[in-house]
Amino acid sequence: MYQLKAVDKKFPGVHALKAVDFEVKRGEVVGLVGENGAGKSTLMKVIYGAYQPDGGEISIDGRAVHFANPRQAMEQGIGMVFQEQSLIPNLTVMENVFLGQEAQFVRFGVINRRAMAAATRRQLAKVKLDIDPGMVTADLSFAQRQLVELAKVLTLEERVEGDLVILLDEPTSVLNREEVELLFGLVRELTSRASFIFVSHRMDEVMELSDRIYVMKDGQVVDVVTRGASDVEAIQKKMVGRSVDKEYYREPRQKPYDPSRVLVEMDRVRFPGRAAEVSLKLHAGEVLCLVGTEGSGREAVLRTIFGMRTPLAGRVSIKGREVTRFSPRNAVEQGVGYVPRERKIEGIVAGMSVYENMTLSQMRRYSGAGVLRTGEEKALARDWIKKLSIKAHSEFADCGNLSGGNQQKVVLSKWRSGGSDIMLLDHPTRGLDIGAKEDVYDMIRDMSDDGVGVVLVADTLEEAIGLSHTILVLKDGVIQQKFDGAPGAKPTLFDLLHYMI
Amino acid sequence: MGARISRATLLRWAPFLVLIALVVFFTILNPSFFSLRNAARIALAATPALMVAIGVTFILIMGSIDLSMEGAVSVTAVLFATVFLQLGGTLASWAWIALPAAVLAGAVFGMLNGWLHVKLQIPSFMASLAFGFVGTGLALMMTGGDRIRVEDELFRGLLTFRFAGFPLMVWLAFGFVLIAWFIQTRTTIGRNLYAVGGGEELAHASGLNTRRVRVIGFTLAGAFYALGALMAVARIGIAETATGNNFMFISITSAVVGGVALWGGIGGVWNAVVGVLIVNVINNGMVVIGLPDYLQDGVLGLMVILAVVLSTDRRLVSFVK
Amino acid sequence: MMDFQRIKPHLPWLTLVVLTAFVGIANPTFLAPSNLLMLAGDIVPLFIMALGLTFAIYIGGIDLSAQSMANLVTVIASIYLASMGAFVAVLCVLAGFLFGTLSGVITTKLKVPSFISTLAIGGVAFSLAQWLSGQKALFMDASQRDASFGWMIGRTGIIPNELFLAAALLLLCLFIERRTVLGRALKAVGAGELAAAASGLNVARYKILAFALSGALAAIAGLLFSVKLSGGAPTIANGFLLPAIVAVLVGGTPLTGGVGGVLNTVIGTLIVAVIRASMLYFEIDATRQQMVFGLVLIAAIALTIDRSKLRVVK
Repeated sequence: MYQLKAVDKKFPGVHALKAVDFEVKRGEVVGLVGENGAGKSTLMKVIYGAYQPDGGEISIDGRAVHFANPRQAMEQGIGMVFQEQSLIPNLTVMENVFLGQEAQFVRFGVINRRAMAAATRRQLAKVKLDIDPGMVTADLSFAQRQLVELAKVLTLEERVEGDLVILLDEPTSVLNREEVELLFGLVRELTSRASFIFVSHRMDEVMELSDRIYVMKDGQVVDVVTRGASDVEAIQKKMVGRSVDKEYYREPRQKPYDPSRVLVEMDRVRFPGRAAEVSLKLHAGEVLCLVGTEGSGREAVLRTIFGMRTPLAGRVSIKGREVTRFSPRNAVEQGVGYVPRERKIEGIVAGMSVYENMTLSQMRRYSGAGVLRTGEEKALARDWIKKLSIKAHSEFADCGNLSGGNQQKVVLSKWRSGGSDIMLLDHPTRGLDIGAKEDVYDMIRDMSDDGVGVVLVADTLEEAIGLSHTILVLKDGVIQQKFDGAPGAKPTLFDLLHYMI
Repeated sequence: MGARISRATLLRWAPFLVLIALVVFFTILNPSFFSLRNAARIALAATPALMVAIGVTFILIMGSIDLSMEGAVSVTAVLFATVFLQLGGTLASWAWIALPAAVLAGAVFGMLNGWLHVKLQIPSFMASLAFGFVGTGLALMMTGGDRIRVEDELFRGLLTFRFAGFPLMVWLAFGFVLIAWFIQTRTTIGRNLYAVGGGEELAHASGLNTRRVRVIGFTLAGAFYALGALMAVARIGIAETATGNNFMFISITSAVVGGVALWGGIGGVWNAVVGVLIVNVINNGMVVIGLPDYLQDGVLGLMVILAVVLSTDRRLVSFVK
Repeated sequence: MMDFQRIKPHLPWLTLVVLTAFVGIANPTFLAPSNLLMLAGDIVPLFIMALGLTFAIYIGGIDLSAQSMANLVTVIASIYLASMGAFVAVLCVLAGFLFGTLSGVITTKLKVPSFISTLAIGGVAFSLAQWLSGQKALFMDASQRDASFGWMIGRTGIIPNELFLAAALLLLCLFIERRTVLGRALKAVGAGELAAAASGLNVARYKILAFALSGALAAIAGLLFSVKLSGGAPTIANGFLLPAIVAVLVGGTPLTGGVGGVLNTVIGTLIVAVIRASMLYFEIDATRQQMVFGLVLIAAIALTIDRSKLRVVK
């Protein structure tokens, strides 16, 4: 009933969607998978009205429709449950559920809170959530918030004639297994009221829940798989588009690391809010991958090594010297570099030029008595622009205007040019297109060759397996298992998943 | 109540505890601080600032700031006095119309302020700062720099008539606090202010007309500034260009001391009340204990810093500007 | 639209030129070099204060203590000129620097918003000024003043000497902004505080320095002011704060941080000065000037601010 025909979307320099056909039938759960940059999020935005397609046709029950904004899509029954929490934390549950729809409860300018609470309870009952509608949203658990969002979207039922289509964008990323089961049970029940589009990185979950799965790659739908007609590996092959991932992740370039040189050692380190202790070692030339779900403690490890967090107990040593004062400044002086997940917030400074960004962590090296030697800075920037073939018109280009891949290269060259030999990479390929990803993989191998130790939190499990010498699986702040990732003897996806959840 | 008080509860009540601590502190230093007479004195001094602080609290909840209150207070005070005297100069005549007219004028002033901010896409700090000049300028233009005396017995009754020891205007102000609280908690606009402050883009994505909410918020603030102006005129019996002086910093400081966050979404009317009382208790207490007047600004500054430090949950703040 | 994007960065100085031309056409004597120079010379104290405020606003903060700081310094200068001579300048700048540092420490370490912390420190400075002065106006000995600071206020040819002082400070600030580690760090903190911290910068220290610079420059403004008036008092510089903030904002350094800079403040101060002066030339009644100032200001701000960096306008 909801149908896209030959939908096209172009952005400057990117053909994001190429003649995509897509269909959701009544009461169906449709999975949508693809690597980052394959066009999933663009497709979703077209579906819920945030983007307008450049070509093709959208129809509901055969009737052509056009959405100028998400609101219009909502009025036609298209609801979105966002990956980033879209509830306003300081409002109560009922205020969030009926935000912008308060008029129905207003008499003489006054909100009838009792009526609003009752209506909210009716919505919450649909998602089987039994909480006080007057609770402040910030006090809910992630799982509860997810359900409240779903309940909020389900208010469309009463407001809209016709059928509902609900998009679930990575709904399970912050949930534990029981909560996932609960959500899936709910979605299956709700298919009597609505159709669902389910987007997730977790292939097993997509397989479990979806009636049909759309596989996207490079802005195209490369396959549509019905339930039970394929297995995880076959779908993955289609997503990546290559039979073997060896070449893609530069496996032939993986060389053994030097076990005699320990760069970072964590000895029974305990983090705030966690009972467990973490011990690990990072060696020169090693790519150490931390694998786990959101909130499993991967980020805590990275941020502790970088000095942004102070552990409660245990020892952290960098190059044999125990860290006594945890601060990024000390870490940087010890040769630690950090490529954060939030590239635009913590990685680069938008509004500053390429050369200013590159020397931000090492201004002392390019200054005397507090005065900068800008000539040298610019020479350095030109050098690295050439070395990593960064696409910027010059070293004066505003970093905020570069593409994601080139921004990432600027961040990497900031640390590499400063001689950092301990690199912490948090989702370094997030949001990059395939070509830019491969550049990052090459750079990781180059760093290993130079004897740099890399701690990596990868964007996908495949990436983690492909790139790493060593994999540590974390769950709830505890290291569950250690895998050796020598080429040819790498663990499989299922080996890892077994310990993750 | 359980034996253990949660951190959240403690923080919620922190400004109030600071207020009580201050009262105890000054009472120990000089027992005459804790008397009905002195309480009435504090309440009276606090009343005009309280109205203004409540007005600006609505703006701070949205995560904006308003610096136009001095202009708003001056212009509405002068406008009120002029109209009041023109229409007969006593509440017993048609001149009472000047009261609602002044509040209406304040609302219009606030609406224009918000409209400039939203329409011209000027951050509220700048738009309201400049618009405040316009307000002060209008007041100056209307008075030509003169003072207007308002000596009507009935109107001054706001000050002279006492009930249970407190002047009438204090009781009136309490009534307006309840109205503001009602607006904050029970009306769509009140709740929408929190939505804008908590996440403007999310609120917009949910279909809220955030620009409209902003303009209404500023309108509301303007009306409360006008109430502050009326109280100020009733208190001193004079309306002039300088009536609005010193309201800007004291009202924003009070709101923040009371626990309203400058980054939006947190705090409300009662926080403003507690904040205004904290500031006025400090001011009054310093006089009562006989602190030399030249030290008072400095001590007030230090106490304000202390109060803010004690009453904000700094774990929630990633960085402070 | 494309063309408008191109001229956008130039709007502050274009606004200044248009305003100046506007007044000049109405009254050509306005454009006489000696008149313009005198006008410029008169606003130097305001300019110096605005220069300091630029640093605080550049990192996304505000310094509301600048006026009290200048007040305090007029008192300090008037009292200690007799005993210290020209060295009183060092004392003044040091006082400003220390008070600014204190504001900075309270803002960064105690996490009190700068709006409140600087206001409170301003109160402390005011109290100190009242205590030092015994709450009365002080006067400098004319001969001592001329011996120590006479060079500040005379004239060289038709150029008021204040302008040399202003130019020297401008060059110094421009150098700090463009060529030093401090300037680069302040830009990074203003435009992306989290990224600056994640690059290992000691963000707190640089923020404190920004407030310290603001305090020091406010002190210099106060010193110049007391030299001009040959005296000091705890309230003598009142009325300077808001125009100084306005000068920074109109110049195109918005409160969001990381954009603009000291050159913008030059233009902003001149815009404020021209608007003020134009009142005389258009013979606007004294009681209406304030209102006209406000209205023209709104127009100027609407024209000059760069909205491209503002995601939501708060």
